[in-house]
Amino acid sequence: MNTKEAKEGLIYLYCITDKVPKLKEIENLVDEPYFIYHQSLYASVNKVKESEFAEENLKRNLADLEWIKVKASIHEKAIEGVMKNTCVIPFKFATLFNTEDNLKAMLGAHLEEFKDILIKLEDKEEWGVKIYCNSENLKENLIQEDEQLLNIDKEINSSLPGKSYLLKKKKEELLNISVNKKFNEYGEVSFDRLRERSQEAGINKLLPKEVTERNDEMILNSAFLINKDKVGDFLNIVDDLRVKYTDKGLFFDCTGPWPPYNFCGLLKEKIHNG
Amino acid sequence: MDRQIKTLQDKNSYLDLRKQERVTLLEILDRALDKGVVISGDIVISVADVDLVYLGLKVLLSSVETMERLRGAPMAGAQEEPT
Repeated sequence: MNTKEAKEGLIYLYCITDKVPKLKEIENLVDEPYFIYHQSLYASVNKVKESEFAEENLKRNLADLEWIKVKASIHEKAIEGVMKNTCVIPFKFATLFNTEDNLKAMLGAHLEEFKDILIKLEDKEEWGVKIYCNSENLKENLIQEDEQLLNIDKEINSSLPGKSYLLKKKKEELLNISVNKKFNEYGEVSFDRLRERSQEAGINKLLPKEVTERNDEMILNSAFLINKDKVGDFLNIVDDLRVKYTDKGLFFDCTGPWPPYNFCGLLKEKIHNG
Repeated sequence: MDRQIKTLQDKNSYLDLRKQERVTLLEILDRALDKGVVISGDIVISVADVDLVYLGLKVLLSSVETMERLRGAPMAGAQEEPT
């Protein structure tokens, strides 16, 4: 490693492995990633400009979505490239160090944890399942199924405007409660079935429509760590669920394999520490 | 006639690609910005900054949506997902 070079710019950490990362095979990355070896671990890194990643500049750039789009894609591509040959501990976007020594100190401080995580992740893949539900369609179905709602509907039709207005409000309230109940039920049933085939499973925060830009609502945002030889079974269950819920207006978005962002242990510790 | 149909198909596959890109970006941001090992590196981005990203994402996604609408494409509905 060129020590003079290390002093200029910042070191951006993509991921950690316990085998030599095959960085030369990663195509289409603007810069050339390299690795830093320390105490049996390999950190895949890249040199980045302070003009882009130093604290104030980074904050400014984080408001620029085009910039994030490019950089997050590089982040993902680099980690996925390394992941092709060995299992990785992916780091959060923009994990930065001023010097190689700082990075090595961090590796040393968490050495045993990282080794344990890598053992845990061996021969496993992360998959994500997001489930969406069209609440309008669901409401239509619920009205047909629910006797109480059907009765209110009848009453609305035979009532004077004032009363019918109040009844409509009541119906809307009851519907919203039923819809949320159903959302929870579908999400729970699906999650429970999917986790049976996984080593670990986690539920993440739901993304609002403004972010997903879909017409239907996200009702489950989940991640699973699956043994490689169980992935086929897992995907079959996703298909089973699709069939089971086909008339309920559910949409299953299943993606993977991802770097195991959701299952690298230290994260939980961090959350508990606040 | 044939030619017209072909053009239409090309346009649709282009839009599918855009949709796919958008979904992928959402997936990447949902993970890389929110998850992954969080270590006290030398520079730390706070949660607030990540929310800022989502705000930005909203703007970007809307612009893609607007483009699709301008092209007379159907709204984002069910689509094939990569497995």
